[in-house]
Amino acid sequence: MSKIEATELGGRRTTGKGDRHITSLATELLRIAGLAGLFAIALVVLRDDPFLLNILAYTCLFGGLATSWNIIGGFGGQFSLGHGVFFAAGAYTTANLYFHFGISPWLTLIPAVVVASAVALAVSWPTFRLKGPFFAIATLALNEVAFVLANYFDGLTGGPRGMMLPFRAGFENMVFTSKLPYAIIMIGFLLVTLVTAAIVLRSRLGYYLQAVRLDEDAARSVGIGVLRVKLMGMAVSAGLTGVGGSLFAMYIRYVDPPTLLSIQDVGVRFLLISLIGGVGTLYGPLAGALLIVPLEFQLRATLGSALPGGNLMVLGALLVIFALFMRKGLVGTVSDIWDRYGRRRDE
Amino acid sequence: MSDATALAAENLTKRFGGLTAVGGLNFSLRRGDLLSIIGPNGAGKTTLFNLLTGQHPPSDGRVIHEGRDISALAPEQRARLGLGRTFQISKTLTSMTALENVMIGAFLHRGKLAAAAEHAMHILDRVGLARRASVRAGTLTLSERRRLEIARALALDCSVLLLDEVMAGLNQREVDDVIGLVRQLHAEGLTVLVIEHNLKVVRAFENRVIVMDFGRMIADGTPDKVLSDPQVVEAYLGKKAE
Ligand SMILES: Nc1ncnc2c1ncn2[C@@H]1O[C@H](COP(=O)(O)OP(=O)(O)OP(=O)(O)O)[C@@H](O)[C@H]1O
Ligand SMILES: [Mg+2]
Repeated sequence: MSKIEATELGGRRTTGKGDRHITSLATELLRIAGLAGLFAIALVVLRDDPFLLNILAYTCLFGGLATSWNIIGGFGGQFSLGHGVFFAAGAYTTANLYFHFGISPWLTLIPAVVVASAVALAVSWPTFRLKGPFFAIATLALNEVAFVLANYFDGLTGGPRGMMLPFRAGFENMVFTSKLPYAIIMIGFLLVTLVTAAIVLRSRLGYYLQAVRLDEDAARSVGIGVLRVKLMGMAVSAGLTGVGGSLFAMYIRYVDPPTLLSIQDVGVRFLLISLIGGVGTLYGPLAGALLIVPLEFQLRATLGSALPGGNLMVLGALLVIFALFMRKGLVGTVSDIWDRYGRRRDE
Repeated sequence: MSDATALAAENLTKRFGGLTAVGGLNFSLRRGDLLSIIGPNGAGKTTLFNLLTGQHPPSDGRVIHEGRDISALAPEQRARLGLGRTFQISKTLTSMTALENVMIGAFLHRGKLAAAAEHAMHILDRVGLARRASVRAGTLTLSERRRLEIARALALDCSVLLLDEVMAGLNQREVDDVIGLVRQLHAEGLTVLVIEHNLKVVRAFENRVIVMDFGRMIADGTPDKVLSDPQVVEAYLGKKAE
């Protein structure tokens, strides 16, 4: 439409084209493709080391889960501690369909998304009326309720005994004798979550989620339906989390309430990883997972027997350090430094 | 159609517990009107805006927009009808860039990122902030943030614009800039409501003024007439004497 002339001001060029001032989705997808390349190299290097492939698989799984959480928790600022419920919803959906009906786990990913999103919408409808810490506490309670229900409805969950998923190696069963295919699957999951998060972030929904996080009154004043936007962000976030649950169930081939719904190992973990990596940034949750997950393996290996719970103490200390000195996490801090020194010419 | 009321208040009332912040206000604006609202601190001006834009449900009375009762609509629904506003305590999204702040408004009628960005850039240029597009809103000056908030409301393609003390704290040159901007928007056909403390600004607009005190309208007319009204003078002198 109206072309604003390029002007030279303080050595900086500005034009009327607004999209020159924002990172485009294409740029973001290129960066993710670059990451995919790096992970491919890692796979080649680690291909004969099951121990390290296992760490890689977990890192990517939890990186993907934290990236999913970040869509509503980070972009939208809704600090859910109930994502374990959606994780479990996906895991139980896949486990049941595979165990009872012999349906290929690949096909169960679709119902897993639907079930996890539906559960998320049902529980978020009331809880999204709560703000800040009250919302977080309510979602924490949801996790506990889900734990009790999972123990009670043993027809669906196997109850406290859990469900052991049969080992029938083959691509169609998503069961493999080597760790390599699992690592590839988890990398794929991570990339899917990153691409989804990038699409959300570079769309109206992403901007609306951020506006809701930053100032609900301002958001409403420009026509944003706050509850609706939160629910949409939650549905996307929970759907991806459900897929993570499905993949996790097929990886360890065992599901029971403590594994799926433990607060410290699942519920709080997505948030913790995101906080350390940089909540609300696209790559923060991945950065957090790259730091935390291998560190946890290391701690468990070295401290595990000598000092039970030692790994949790180290993680707690790490979180305190980040809360005190790096409020914006790894990625947020780096981008702030970049803003201050790297992009001086912008001012 | 041409003489339709853009916005009207009918016996509009807001009580906070025992306090009547706005008491039985009546006025009506035609499309393209410019209305200044003045009054001492705590007179109920911001509360009136919050009633008009839906932040508060009224305790009594109605808000009429284009002949339709909108009293029960939420703020976001009224924004979609074309009511744009700024906040007395600035509500720019400080961690976002200036452009992104305006895009948040532009998205209402433009779903695509590029289209929203383009429209937002166009609006930023209109309010004189084009070269600050990629600067975080939190690092803008006060006067820039005020104009940014106006830009965000304009990006809605609003037909009614409500400005809550957008000149407060600005120096004379910045005030003149904003007056120029508001005049231009009014000239383009926007219906504008301006809450103002600065009587010079009210005089500069030369349009209808209503004066509020303790939630009631104590005067309504041209600036010359209203500002020489003894009741108005008393309300203001009373405040000064404190
Ligand atoms: N949410 C609220 N709850 C309780 N009382 C309120 C609320 N909002 C405003 N009030 C009270 O209503 C009265 C009118 O306030 P309002 O903010 O509308 O005044 P104002 O004319 O905008 O004043 P100022 O010039 O200081 O901005 C004040 O006494 C204020 O304390
Ligand atoms: Mg006020």
